[in-house]
Amino acid sequence: MSSGVTVASAAKSEWIKFRSVRSTIMGVIVTFVLTIGLGALISVAVRGHYNQMDPLRKLTFDPVSTSLGGTLFAQFAVGVIGALFITSEYSSGSIRSTLAAVPRRTQLAIAKLVVLFLSLLVVSEVACFITFQLGQTIFSGVVPTASLSSGVVLRSVILAGIYLTLLSILGYSLGLILRHSAACISVFTSLLLILPIVLFLMPQSWQNHATKYEPSQLGQSMMSPTSSVNSFGAWTALLLLIIYVVVAFIIGVTLLNRRDAGVS
Amino acid sequence: MIKIDHLTKRFGKTLAVDNLDFEVQPGVVTGFLGPNGSGKSTTMRIILGLDHASNGRATINGRRYCDLKSPLHEVGALLDAKAVHPGRTARNHLRALAASNKISKSRVDDVLEFAGIGSVANKKVGGFSMGMSQRLGIAGALLGDPGVLLFDEPVNGLDPEGIKWIREFFQSLAREGRTVFVSSHLMSEMAVSADQIIVIGRGKFITRGSIDELTATAQGSVFVRASDATKLTEILTFDQGLVQKINDNGLSVSGLTSDRIGELAFLSGVVIHELTPQRASLEEVFMDLTADAVEYGSHPMGDVDE
Repeated sequence: MSSGVTVASAAKSEWIKFRSVRSTIMGVIVTFVLTIGLGALISVAVRGHYNQMDPLRKLTFDPVSTSLGGTLFAQFAVGVIGALFITSEYSSGSIRSTLAAVPRRTQLAIAKLVVLFLSLLVVSEVACFITFQLGQTIFSGVVPTASLSSGVVLRSVILAGIYLTLLSILGYSLGLILRHSAACISVFTSLLLILPIVLFLMPQSWQNHATKYEPSQLGQSMMSPTSSVNSFGAWTALLLLIIYVVVAFIIGVTLLNRRDAGVS
Repeated sequence: MIKIDHLTKRFGKTLAVDNLDFEVQPGVVTGFLGPNGSGKSTTMRIILGLDHASNGRATINGRRYCDLKSPLHEVGALLDAKAVHPGRTARNHLRALAASNKISKSRVDDVLEFAGIGSVANKKVGGFSMGMSQRLGIAGALLGDPGVLLFDEPVNGLDPEGIKWIREFFQSLAREGRTVFVSSHLMSEMAVSADQIIVIGRGKFITRGSIDELTATAQGSVFVRASDATKLTEILTFDQGLVQKINDNGLSVSGLTSDRIGELAFLSGVVIHELTPQRASLEEVFMDLTADAVEYGSHPMGDVDE
């Protein structure tokens, strides 16, 4: 006889759900295509005009974050995967049978978090390592390259994967809060795209202080081997991003517990 | 056993469930009858812990739903058959539910076969007809072999064969000693499928009983044909009867038994040609019971011009 619902059994259930819908499969394919495909395109383009670059840009050129440039596009794909993981339950109404099976809602939210984190971590890391290696292969001979044997380079590639993983959790947490797919994707996109534009309109002194806190800037800091002016170091950036995600998740879980599941 | 204990649910200003208090016993099919919007679904959602009660509580075998360790082993429910991710196959939908409560894959195949949808188990649910979705919902409710079962409007969208199947199925579940709680807004459905009926309206408890008891308490009328309808009308009205003239010498009388009408006619010397008690139809009984409690009733329209 069973000993009741646990986070592990709920996670097993969520894993079946996660991989049994096309939106997840499509999302993962898009993540690979954007990270690796666009990463390769960017690398090819850079190789093409590297010799015409002015000396200052050559001096600050970073082969690591450049080869990982596709993640700036893939971050939207992983956000959508995370958001849909919960908002599709509300749009279809299946949240009701889900909660009837796992009535303790914090348990459910954690189970989903575990499944999303582990599967996106694998997807993101694989995509980031492939695009990094591909980029260095494209660069070699013309553009300076980096190697994983260097500690900071390895850190940058790993943190690029973690950046994407955390953004999928951010999308999921926004989904818990907002419950509607469209609203959630709009807010997610605004945070990553519109917020930087708004900050860009602010006075320069503000920008210097505020810009580094943007999620996408934190991502840049995480996947750069060296930290530049007006940006955080990689570990500080990671810590800040984790704080954002945890805060959003806690708000989401609180609302999940408080609200009725019947009405959306 | 399900126990509803002074349950109240407010949505903003709307009082959806108003101090409901009743028990649902095992071994019989209990119908939950009320007009649309009377709070049946809300009550069921609260029983399942989906909506939070504003006041009072609902318990299953003495515990609140969220305190059940392995809920699918104790309670099976079908609230909304279409509330399934359309892109997932029937089998994967059930496997996911089963996994959370540590129910085996073979049990999933068994309930799929039992519900008669084994042949479409690998098809996406989005393409299911209402009837197939209902059967999938029933399969889901049976996954954990629970002792308590809740069904919200289960016959909606089923074909006649499906309706017959589901009625017999409810009866067999009850005979096995399970608690079976079925909601409907159709009295005629309850009359054939439920042993006990709980009637609510506007979130309030109205009455409970077997179909015969409910029909008996409702006002029936008596058709009377008499030699002097005018005189009889006067006498019956004087004795608190409600008399309606049907034709020249035919009357419909309510509020008095046929025995009493016969006695009054005899005492006043009116010859009775016909005296027929009219049993109220099920829908009349229902309308009568819930007359004051219809949320979206139709009312005669006033004149357009002032």
